[in-house]
Amino acid sequence: MSEPIDRKTVESVARLARIDLPEDQIDDTASKLGDVLTYIGQLEQVELPDDVEPFFGAIESVNAIRPDQLTDSVDREQILSNAPDADGEFYQVPPVL
Amino acid sequence: MDLSTLSAAELVKRLSSGELTAESCTESFLERIKDRDSSLNSFVSTAESAISAAQAIDERRSTGQAVGALAGLPVAVKDGICTAGIATTAGSRMLEKFVPAFDATMVKQLLSADAVVIGKTNMDEFAMGSSTENSFFGVTKNPWSDQHVPGGSSGGSAACVAADLAPVSIGSDTGGSIRQPAAFCGITGLKPTYGRVSRFGLIAFASSLDQIGPMARSAEDCGLVMNVISGHDSNDSTSAKNDVPDFTQTLNDSLKGLRIGICKEHFGEGLDSEIESAVNESVKVLESLGAETVEISLPHTPYAVATYYVIAPCEASSNLARFDGVRYTHRAATAKDLTEMYCQSRAEGFGEEVKKRIMLGTYALSSGYYDAYYLKASKVRRMIKHDYDSAFEKVDLILGPTTPTTAFKIGEHTQNALAMYLADIYTVSANLAGVPAISIPCGLTSAGMPVGLQLQARSFDEASLLRVAHQFQLQTDWHTRRPNA
Repeated sequence: MSEPIDRKTVESVARLARIDLPEDQIDDTASKLGDVLTYIGQLEQVELPDDVEPFFGAIESVNAIRPDQLTDSVDREQILSNAPDADGEFYQVPPVL
Repeated sequence: MDLSTLSAAELVKRLSSGELTAESCTESFLERIKDRDSSLNSFVSTAESAISAAQAIDERRSTGQAVGALAGLPVAVKDGICTAGIATTAGSRMLEKFVPAFDATMVKQLLSADAVVIGKTNMDEFAMGSSTENSFFGVTKNPWSDQHVPGGSSGGSAACVAADLAPVSIGSDTGGSIRQPAAFCGITGLKPTYGRVSRFGLIAFASSLDQIGPMARSAEDCGLVMNVISGHDSNDSTSAKNDVPDFTQTLNDSLKGLRIGICKEHFGEGLDSEIESAVNESVKVLESLGAETVEISLPHTPYAVATYYVIAPCEASSNLARFDGVRYTHRAATAKDLTEMYCQSRAEGFGEEVKKRIMLGTYALSSGYYDAYYLKASKVRRMIKHDYDSAFEKVDLILGPTTPTTAFKIGEHTQNALAMYLADIYTVSANLAGVPAISIPCGLTSAGMPVGLQLQARSFDEASLLRVAHQFQLQTDWHTRRPNA
């Protein structure tokens, strides 16, 4: 797992992450990701007890629930004002297909 | 009257007695920012609404109406925390023109206490960095030396307090982002327990690690702010329901019998010898106040940074998926279809480090790699948590340096990301385990740069951190030293 990442994998990861990666930046990105992956590869050496449970966060409580009651929400116009394109009611995006 | 060097506690006292008005106090700090921040770049923006907010507080006070605990106190807020009607950029081109429609819960709490938000501070983009060099809005300088970084990611919040441009500020800490810049700038910074302060309205980086906290010149001032921003919030499902003490009430309790663990893994290779001596001197001060010290071990410390650089990017890759060119400001102009619009907007809107971490997280979570990276790291995280649990059976606090070196030079680690990541080697574990930790000034090197002392405590025992820090600050004057003085 500590082997540096190849060009093909970098292209596929960029696609999954929805980040345009120009051809001339692939090698540099592979090398930078590879450095970090090599460093975190040291986790392989950590010996763990067989029964260790993963720790995903310091609040290990059950879901927080609240009564299902109507509360005020933020004004739609204000929210849409941050959108690059909206028609007053909906967000607008370029054609999907 | 020069207000800039007064503590927050003193300002609140003068505001309350009527000796000082909120308006003149706010004006005085805004004036200082205008005069001095062009070279420092600690603020992304100042709040135009601050003066009228201050006038309204004065008006209420003069007509005998009740005012809050921080009435008239100027506060600077990290630009990754949402402020209604005030641009909130998270240091990113992606959010260059984003104006939140709501206040973060802790901002609301500050405003209910009648604090005055005077501006938004610079930060590494989406809090990803340890130097405040990764901001779309330029590098912030360290007030102690314009050749050096202020630390990060809350570098603007640290620098503005160190330069007396704000008496207190708010930062956020995912792997050290409050404590490391506090150490680099010679101020006091507290990362509270995970869950102690609501994160509703904090632009999320790594949700199982992020925590908001105060930065100030003293532990006492941090306590004043903690009293206002702590507590449960139904808008944050990870917010804790634990009781909130009055953090200023126990500051003067004795340290007799307090057990402080010296973590041996924090004194190894890579630690600057001048920092080591300053920390050792601090131990003597605390011993003279009646604290007992014992050596302890947090054996998984060497793996903390690697664990962090799996978990934080994984969470970031998910959290930052929301920045897609649809809802928040930046959209690429030339895209022909939706997928192209996502890909181009994200390529243009995010900086290099953010893109790298998103891709790292995407890779580590992708099919076939999850067990090797995320699951393994989460198990090592459990061991790190166990280390703390065992240590806190023997001691009340854990002491060590905040950082292995003092502030590094601007550009020094730009080409070597791992060297930058290792600046957080002593701070990331507290985030992984969820425990509270504070950094306080404990010395200056021969080159005149500040040194930070870190104290860590059991979950929800911020009161002990503030008490020990306050008692230390009554015996020492490191926290009163100013740049160029």
